[in-house]
Amino acid sequence: MSAEPRFAAGDWYAVAGDRVTVLLPGSQRDRVAHLWDLTDSGADVDTVLDALLAGGLSSLDHFALVAHGDDATRLIVRGAPTATVSSPSGDDLVSATPGTAWAERLVTGVTSLRVTLTGDGEADRVLTPGLARVSVVEFGAPAPTGTPAPAAAPATVAVEPEPVAHEPEPEPPVAEPEPVVEPEPAAAAPLHFGEPDDDPTPTGETPVVQDEWYDRDGQTQVGGPVPDFDRPPVPGQEVAPEVVSHPVASLIFSTGDVVAVDRTVLVGRAPEARRFASHDQPHVVTVASPQQEISSTHLEIRPGAGADHGSAIATDLGSTNGTVLAQPGLEPEELTPGIAVSLIPGAVLDLGDGVTIQVTNA
Amino acid sequence: MKNVDLHHGAATDVGLVRKVNEDSYLVAPPIFVVADGMGGHSGGDVASQMVVEEFQRLSEVYDPARGAEHVAGAFARAQARIVDFGDAHRTLQPGWHAGTTAVVAALVDDNGAAKWLLANLGDSRIYRITEGRLEQISVDHSVVQELIDAGRITAQEAAVHPERHVITRALGSPEGIEPDFFLLPLGSVERLLLCSDGVTGMIEDEEIEDILETIADPRDAADRLVRAAVAAGGRDNATAVVVDVVGLVKDATYDSQRQLQSLESKLGGRL
Repeated sequence: MSAEPRFAAGDWYAVAGDRVTVLLPGSQRDRVAHLWDLTDSGADVDTVLDALLAGGLSSLDHFALVAHGDDATRLIVRGAPTATVSSPSGDDLVSATPGTAWAERLVTGVTSLRVTLTGDGEADRVLTPGLARVSVVEFGAPAPTGTPAPAAAPATVAVEPEPVAHEPEPEPPVAEPEPVVEPEPAAAAPLHFGEPDDDPTPTGETPVVQDEWYDRDGQTQVGGPVPDFDRPPVPGQEVAPEVVSHPVASLIFSTGDVVAVDRTVLVGRAPEARRFASHDQPHVVTVASPQQEISSTHLEIRPGAGADHGSAIATDLGSTNGTVLAQPGLEPEELTPGIAVSLIPGAVLDLGDGVTIQVTNA
Repeated sequence: MKNVDLHHGAATDVGLVRKVNEDSYLVAPPIFVVADGMGGHSGGDVASQMVVEEFQRLSEVYDPARGAEHVAGAFARAQARIVDFGDAHRTLQPGWHAGTTAVVAALVDDNGAAKWLLANLGDSRIYRITEGRLEQISVDHSVVQELIDAGRITAQEAAVHPERHVITRALGSPEGIEPDFFLLPLGSVERLLLCSDGVTGMIEDEEIEDILETIADPRDAADRLVRAAVAAGGRDNATAVVVDVVGLVKDATYDSQRQLQSLESKLGGRL
């Protein structure tokens, strides 16, 4: 297992860590974000497996996990993925029998391991630790994929038969509600819900409303998503990472609360969080304000991006009474609403009504 | 969490033009859903019903302390079913798609505080009444909303824009789903409205505000909204769910009732 892991592009996610790699369908974006947090911080296989299963198996119809130990390789496949494991003791085709939770192997001396998710592409791109969209992942010596193996392939490696040639095709998960992986062409083309001409529910009547209208059955379309629309960036600011694996700072509130800045933190008398994705739910910190000096959603603190990467940045969200920032060695300043300011450890934010936030190292 | 008293009402109407009502809704406190299906008979109606079924199922095991996770999970399961359903159809009829919008409101327990978790995919909408004013919470996933955000058209122009029915996100999309979530303190919502575009496309926000402000009973308010949309032309299926936070029921009331029941059972029903 000396060669670098490789992959073929596809629409599954590979969460590749140094020792643990998890493969998930494109629909499992939330899990992917969380798992990357863990693998990036060097979590071991049990921790990763724990997190993977935390949401329950019912929402996890397909996955594959490969963990490299000191001398053994652990492999788990559930649902659609199949894997071919080659070791001195022979080749093994691993797939989960329909009706079982998963198939698991612990193999020592693995020479090569190929996990097929969709299709049968040639794994010719190097998989470095991080996230990749994949259809096939290969560890160790290259396996045959129908095209001649690169010359670099060690001559000693036994030629692996393709899964199909080896034993009966693993049954497709017939009853499973899960064609998560869609080899859908023309991603950007709008989807048409039926054709306007063949209205699936012809009324056979004259519409009561005679003006021009488009919203009868068969007219609504789904266009392609426009990423920039999702989270309109603040002009002049780089888009912040939604969630970072390690908190960039810790906030100590005068009320006693301690909150880590590993994602957006919203502070106020009755803070409201808007337009977030399920995997980046902000921390919402409610502080009492008997004099009503603090606005309902007063202040945002989040991990910085670009030049501010690694530190926390604070933005007054247009509060009525403002926010005063005292950075060590600097004169206290009032935050300009909507303008983010980088915080250094030791900084103190004053929201009014006796509520202060001290910024410390995470 | 358990001591939040909710009153609610719901109404739906096929309208005056369509033959099939592709809207579905769910009232399963503390979970409320409106879904507007697309794809015609045996398409959109099935898709929107699948969403409602998944949230109905969720309501039976719902844990408010894990609200966001639970709601995201129900979305994912509905998405998987709708995509599957579409795939099955496409083998017979290539190019066919079924999809649905969804708006969801659920009470969640955020570190001991009850809050509204709201979620949106598509152009159905969530409004709230706060301090006597109507406010739209959800932001449509639609082409015209993008044009408005980019400053290229006004809201008035959007209402008559030829692409006003093109949505950019929906359940059933093969590219996956990405619902927007919103977390609001309980106290910031006096009344909540979930509705399909058959309501908002037919009557103005001013009329919605007027109905929600003047009709106290949420059942009557939902009814009136849908009837107003139908009266205005009823060009699309119209659905409205209205939820009122009536108040926080005193724990003491529950305690005394529970003790009475407990005493009753101990005494074998002889009280």
